Amino acid sequence: MSKIEKALNKAREGGLMVVPRTGLPVPATGTSVVTHRSANPESIARMAANEVKMLAPADLEERGIIRPQRGEDPTVQVFRELRTKIIQQAQGQNAIILITSVSPGCGASFVARNLAAAFAFDVGKTALLIDCNLANPSVHQMLRNASVPGMTDYLENPTLDIDKIIHPLGIARYRLITAGKRHESPEELLTSGKMKQMMDAVRRRYLERFVILDGPPMSKPADIRILSDLADYTLVIARYGRTTSTQIANCVGAITDKKLLGIVFNEEPRIPRLR
Amino acid sequence: MQLLPEQIAKALVNEAFYSRRAFVAIFVVVNAVMLPLGLMWPKVYTASTSILVDERTIIQPLMQGAAVATDALDRSKNAREIMFGRKIMDIILEYGGWLKNNPSVEEREVITDGIKRRTVVATVGKNILRIDYKDEDPERAFRVTEKFAELFMQESIMAKAAESRAAFAFIEQQTMEYQEKLTRAEQELKELRSSNLDASATSEGEVSTKVNDLRSKIESTTQELREAEAKETSLERQVSGEAESIADSFREGQYRTRIAELEAKLDTLRLSYHDTHPDIIQVKQQIQALNENITAERGRREQASRSGKSNESVVSNPVYQQLRREQSQNQGQIEALSARLSEMQRQLQSEVTRGKRIHSGDARLAELTRDYQINRDIYQDLLRRRENARVSMNMDRERQGLSFKIQEPASLPLAPTGLRFWHFVVAGMVFGVVIPLGLLLARLQFDPRIRVGSEIASVHKAPIMVVVPHLWSPVELKTLRVELVMLMLVVMGTVGVSAILSALRVMKVL
Repeated sequence: MSKIEKALNKAREGGLMVVPRTGLPVPATGTSVVTHRSANPESIARMAANEVKMLAPADLEERGIIRPQRGEDPTVQVFRELRTKIIQQAQGQNAIILITSVSPGCGASFVARNLAAAFAFDVGKTALLIDCNLANPSVHQMLRNASVPGMTDYLENPTLDIDKIIHPLGIARYRLITAGKRHESPEELLTSGKMKQMMDAVRRRYLERFVILDGPPMSKPADIRILSDLADYTLVIARYGRTTSTQIANCVGAITDKKLLGIVFNEEPRIPRLR
Repeated sequence: MQLLPEQIAKALVNEAFYSRRAFVAIFVVVNAVMLPLGLMWPKVYTASTSILVDERTIIQPLMQGAAVATDALDRSKNAREIMFGRKIMDIILEYGGWLKNNPSVEEREVITDGIKRRTVVATVGKNILRIDYKDEDPERAFRVTEKFAELFMQESIMAKAAESRAAFAFIEQQTMEYQEKLTRAEQELKELRSSNLDASATSEGEVSTKVNDLRSKIESTTQELREAEAKETSLERQVSGEAESIADSFREGQYRTRIAELEAKLDTLRLSYHDTHPDIIQVKQQIQALNENITAERGRREQASRSGKSNESVVSNPVYQQLRREQSQNQGQIEALSARLSEMQRQLQSEVTRGKRIHSGDARLAELTRDYQINRDIYQDLLRRRENARVSMNMDRERQGLSFKIQEPASLPLAPTGLRFWHFVVAGMVFGVVIPLGLLLARLQFDPRIRVGSEIASVHKAPIMVVVPHLWSPVELKTLRVELVMLMLVVMGTVGVSAILSALRVMKVL
């Protein structure tokens, strides 16, 4: 961890726990925004100003989200590494990344929410996590108030503004869109023109924003194909001791080579330090 | 994909941690099986003794060429045969106290088989025989081993003595047989010699010389006879050609000679003169006169022969007389030669007959002599062997031939042999770890589910982005801590139980 990053972490620990709705930019983030992205410094500052009450470290750990303060933790390091690889791949552009798992239970939601967190670590970038697993949504569980309007509500209700469905989580530069109400035929919603408009909107709104789609597992190939078309990259999650080589081969075959970013091997057992 | 050793090791550690409960459970189960097994495992005590066998082989030189020296393997095999014979086994059963409960025949058989199975007879080096016997009772192990050694030695010596006795008896019998044969051959030889006195070793040569001599004589005599016969024929022919007597033709001869002379003279005169010459006429007259004289002479001679009267002018023919004399002599010679020839032929015949008789006698003699010599040789050999056998038999009787010495006497075994309790304790610990590790390794090798991240990259074209380790939440860590303490306690409890049981075992409480 660089000295600058450590200093930023320290500043964040001290000053970003509760952000007042005054619109004053946080001193620690200001410089960073300027150095990283000169494109739209106001937008990031505005975003920071909209933060709700920040989540405490215990809340984050309860939700299974990594913290930059635990920079020595291998899991945190791995997500940073993954983030870096994606940024390199995107060549300076923001991107929509679809996260799907080989089979249910591989931990796609875990990877999606932490990858978004890793993007949010970087003061020059923001992350938006969208729950696209309409059959088995999980993103809403992270919110204190789970019954907020989500993606299906937006797609079905023409009067609903997109701002109403983007919710802050309590982490700086981290937003999310929940799945919303249950729907009979999610495929139709996903293929709708409004869905495409929504994706364009969220991408264009903030140029430094990385959109993470928490997708259904590959056992729903139709959904995956639609979402894959909407996304720039696809990450496939395989799980230690659960996924077979054949399953991976099937999944890899179903996704366009160009969009396939790679495979994340999740949940490798690790002996923790017990002290 | 072939995993590298370090990958396997890492995956094994991960897996062991991942399946920690199963790991500990197997450890406990294995120990729970091994400890009671160790407690129940019967203690086996082994007593052993070794016997130095000093065998001065005596039968071998006695039966040279027929016997083969026994090697070490044969010896242990022989020893087993002797020891496990019914005779010794019955004594052992009695001695070991197995017959106290009066077992049935089948039970005895089972006990005997058990004893045989627990007894190991092996040769150490060339001359040392080692007997190991295992028993649950150390006292009995010791006593049975001791008894086995004692009985084995006793039985071996007896067997050896019996063997040499049998060998002596056999040789003795053979000697007697050959003695009888030899006597018979001597007798036959004597009889043959007495019945063929002329059939000496030299007679054959004499006979052949004589026969040859006679044959040449007969040949020459036959030649002489033929010559005499030819002479006879010739004499006969000559005799028939000659007149018995000749007339006195002397004067006639003279006249004819005179006539011839005169005719020669006449032929000469006629060359010079005519027939009318007086000389010629005179000569003619003279010839005429002479012819007349010849005619007169012939008339006188015929007259004399007709009248038969001896006439001084008729005489015997001397040639004829000579021939007749020779003929007579020749006939005498022929008769003598014939007589000699027939005599010689008779002699030849008798000599040939004698020769034949000598030949047949010689063949028989040679046969008898040969038999006699062979029998004599064997008999002498047997006599020598019999004396050796007698010595051997006496040696065995006095226990000189085969000597046994207890090299290492059986001792009371203090510690049991074979698997002991601590073996089971150690095995429980080792297998308790090795079995779950082996199972994990097997799962790693044969389970198609991926456990090593790099495996994906090698199989699929898609790159492996990252390997995400498990994120431990504080709650999980707390639970884990409790769980690990529990598992540790279980493992320590198992080890503690093993230690306590081992201690009790050492103190002989168990």
